[in-house]
Amino acid sequence: MLNYLVKRILWMIPMLIGISLISFFIMHLAPGDITSNESAFNPKASEESRQKLRELYNLDKPIIVQYGLWLKRIVQLDFGSSFASHQRPVLWETKDENGNIKPGLIQKALPITLLINLLTILLIFSISILLGTIAAIKKNKIPDRIITLFVFIGFAIPGFWLALILMYSLGVVNQVLPISGLHSVGYEQMSKLGQIFDLLKHLALPVFISCLSGLAGISLYVRNGMIEILNQDFIKTARAKGLYEKKVIFVHTLKNALLPLITILGLSIPGLIGGSVIAESIFAIPGMGKLFYDAVLMRDFPVVMGILTIGSILTLIGNLIADLAYAWADPRIRRGLVK
Amino acid sequence: MHKFLALIFLSLVVGCNNSQNLDNTNYDDPIPPESGGVLTNAMIGEPNNLIAMIAGDSASSAIAGQIFNALLKYDQNLGFEGDLADSWTISDDYKKITFNLKQDIKWADDKPFTCEDVLFTWKKVTDPDTRTPYGSDYQLVSSASCANNHIFIAEYDEPYAPALETWASLHILPEHLLKNENINDTYFSLNPTGTNFYALDEWTTGQQVKLKTNPNSVHGRPLLEKKITRIIPDLSSQFMELIAGNIDLMNINPIQYSRVFPSRSELNDKINLYKEMGNGYTYFGFNLKKKPFDDLNIRKAISYAINKEEIINGVLLGLGEEITSPYKPGTYWENKSINKISFDVSKSRELLEKSGYQLNANNIYEKDGKPLAFEILTNQNKQREMTAVLIQRRLQDIGIDVSIRVIEWASFVNRFIKTGEFEAVVLGWSLSLDPDQYSIWHSSQDGPGQFNFIGYNNPRVDTLLENGRKELKNEKRKQIYDEFSKIIYDEQPIIYLYAGYGLTAIHKKIKGVKKITPPAGVFHNDYEWYIPKKFRRNEMSL
Repeated sequence: MLNYLVKRILWMIPMLIGISLISFFIMHLAPGDITSNESAFNPKASEESRQKLRELYNLDKPIIVQYGLWLKRIVQLDFGSSFASHQRPVLWETKDENGNIKPGLIQKALPITLLINLLTILLIFSISILLGTIAAIKKNKIPDRIITLFVFIGFAIPGFWLALILMYSLGVVNQVLPISGLHSVGYEQMSKLGQIFDLLKHLALPVFISCLSGLAGISLYVRNGMIEILNQDFIKTARAKGLYEKKVIFVHTLKNALLPLITILGLSIPGLIGGSVIAESIFAIPGMGKLFYDAVLMRDFPVVMGILTIGSILTLIGNLIADLAYAWADPRIRRGLVK
Repeated sequence: MHKFLALIFLSLVVGCNNSQNLDNTNYDDPIPPESGGVLTNAMIGEPNNLIAMIAGDSASSAIAGQIFNALLKYDQNLGFEGDLADSWTISDDYKKITFNLKQDIKWADDKPFTCEDVLFTWKKVTDPDTRTPYGSDYQLVSSASCANNHIFIAEYDEPYAPALETWASLHILPEHLLKNENINDTYFSLNPTGTNFYALDEWTTGQQVKLKTNPNSVHGRPLLEKKITRIIPDLSSQFMELIAGNIDLMNINPIQYSRVFPSRSELNDKINLYKEMGNGYTYFGFNLKKKPFDDLNIRKAISYAINKEEIINGVLLGLGEEITSPYKPGTYWENKSINKISFDVSKSRELLEKSGYQLNANNIYEKDGKPLAFEILTNQNKQREMTAVLIQRRLQDIGIDVSIRVIEWASFVNRFIKTGEFEAVVLGWSLSLDPDQYSIWHSSQDGPGQFNFIGYNNPRVDTLLENGRKELKNEKRKQIYDEFSKIIYDEQPIIYLYAGYGLTAIHKKIKGVKKITPPAGVFHNDYEWYIPKKFRRNEMSL
């Protein structure tokens, strides 16, 4: 088992190098660099000074040399500094000799995105399992139909549109929820509990909107898995030996139906760090989606590469965790691994 | 697209909803100025860096402009007045400017402001290691020196007329805090010390920037105690925050200005709208190095075929003006004697036929078997895209086959503009305050990456632009640039389409905003703005 783990982790290194090489080259295939963004298209900024900037950022060197320089820094875990948000560290805060701390871009954006995505996944899974189970028990009856209809409406409705309606009705007309942002004015003065409550109030709409599109897939997954298992012989046996229906459903059926969800859960780990650009813009949430999107538009290479690298590491770890969890849950796979 | 849909929907909801949060406060009563209070506004992007010479984005300059001063500034009629300088003199040969700096000025950290700070800033902006794109204007200064603590002297090898403007846009930085720092990555850029009305109070990354009054401000204390700028990237969300009363002002778009507000009287009870000439214009430009755009008749024919009024009404809902020179309408440098080319299909056809074009069987003009067809290129900008579509339709009517290509900005510049691989563009330039247009129109400026990318080349214009840079007498300069504007308009290397208005919505609880907006804009006197106590939010804890 340990052997297997070490092997898998060692395999990640060449994979990461490959991923980063491809990302680096694709990124440089896009025309332009940091000196060609829209605000630099200014008659007061001369081409000579832009050329000088390119040299200062090493952008005049061949791509392979630039990649080498980047790789050299990254193996020392130095993700560099952003070109656009001038010289703010990409990953983690830095301290200068006077003790002033410059916050890192990913460091600031990641916790917010993680929190939203964790809440979202938690909600999606718990609601979907509930809905899927009900739909399976009441297969082809009215509750099943209603649930299917509801989750598909949620899936089909454009999120930004619903978001704006909800913001208008809950934030402007009836001022029960904040419209945008993460904190209210005067957040610093609130008690710890008040701060948490304030944050949750601000997150309510964004989390609700991101949940909506995820319900359909997973609840149908649960429903179909349940139906398949309910038709199997061992369930008949369980019923025949007189078990309570509750026990049949929740212990014997649900447990087995949930097995494939482990894979989905593992595969959604890399998704945890990706934010939605549209939702983050509408709700004014400074998360990873907006950070990445702006960096791409600005050709802010260190930030783009930083996010891609962290993303690929998490994807690889996510895959590993999914495989391990699967092995833990299913003895047949476990035996295969050890061999 | 999604914003547009959202706006339509919003106006629907807005139209049929009798808002329940109607507050009956009357904001119109006159109330004498009271200091204190917090102004909350919103911005679509976060500032990069509060050292403006390095940052270059508009969000940074907006915030940094409240913290730092330059030597000069624009007064409300867009003339110069002293900012950190009390007065200035220009030598008779126009090669030397002497600034008398204000005395007894202190930085926000109580250290004295002296000429050394100005000299230091000049050294930094011209230092080849400083990551600024704006150095070239200041490299023209052949020697800069301090005669004493309060006299700064800048000498030029040749007279440079835009010099005063350059000294009005360079924020003076404190030497004592920066001399041992690397200006490119100093912490100072996130936590600056300046001399202007406000100082940084708190900056919450990605969320808001809070400013507080600077007790040492060179122009005295402003009335508003604090200013909070929230970062809200989406304009629809900003608008909802505005009507919910959570932000006090924002820039609005033409739909909000002329559709939403007129249909909701309760909004007009609490929000004032201001309209002023914006800072830029949109044009249709030809690649003059390509056929057939080297032919004046063709350019004029296209100009006659485009209905500019229709574009202003369609794209800006009428909230813009036609221009005939690259200067703000109504300001000193505008050449008011130019006759506009107005929409005239028959003139357009006449000119096309004069150049030897005939309509073919498909109703498209052609010459020597080659149809008159080209592609309009523009970047992802809703207004420019809509403009291109309206132009395409008008040209189609007359018999010119036009296609449109919309491209992301960086690709647009690098693949097409820099390489000269384009036929026509819809783009914008700013309406500059100084009349100098050298980098856009001089024939020496048409290399890759330079701004005369349309390839305009007229020796007379070159001479005018060179002379205009050396002439510091306003009357003579005005003559030069009037002739320049006239030649450009006669030759139509670009077709001026429109200059849009800047539209601002300000909550009525903000008092002291001038009813008639001066040329320098509605924010010009924001240090006199105030919020009466009874209208303030419950913000004691701030």
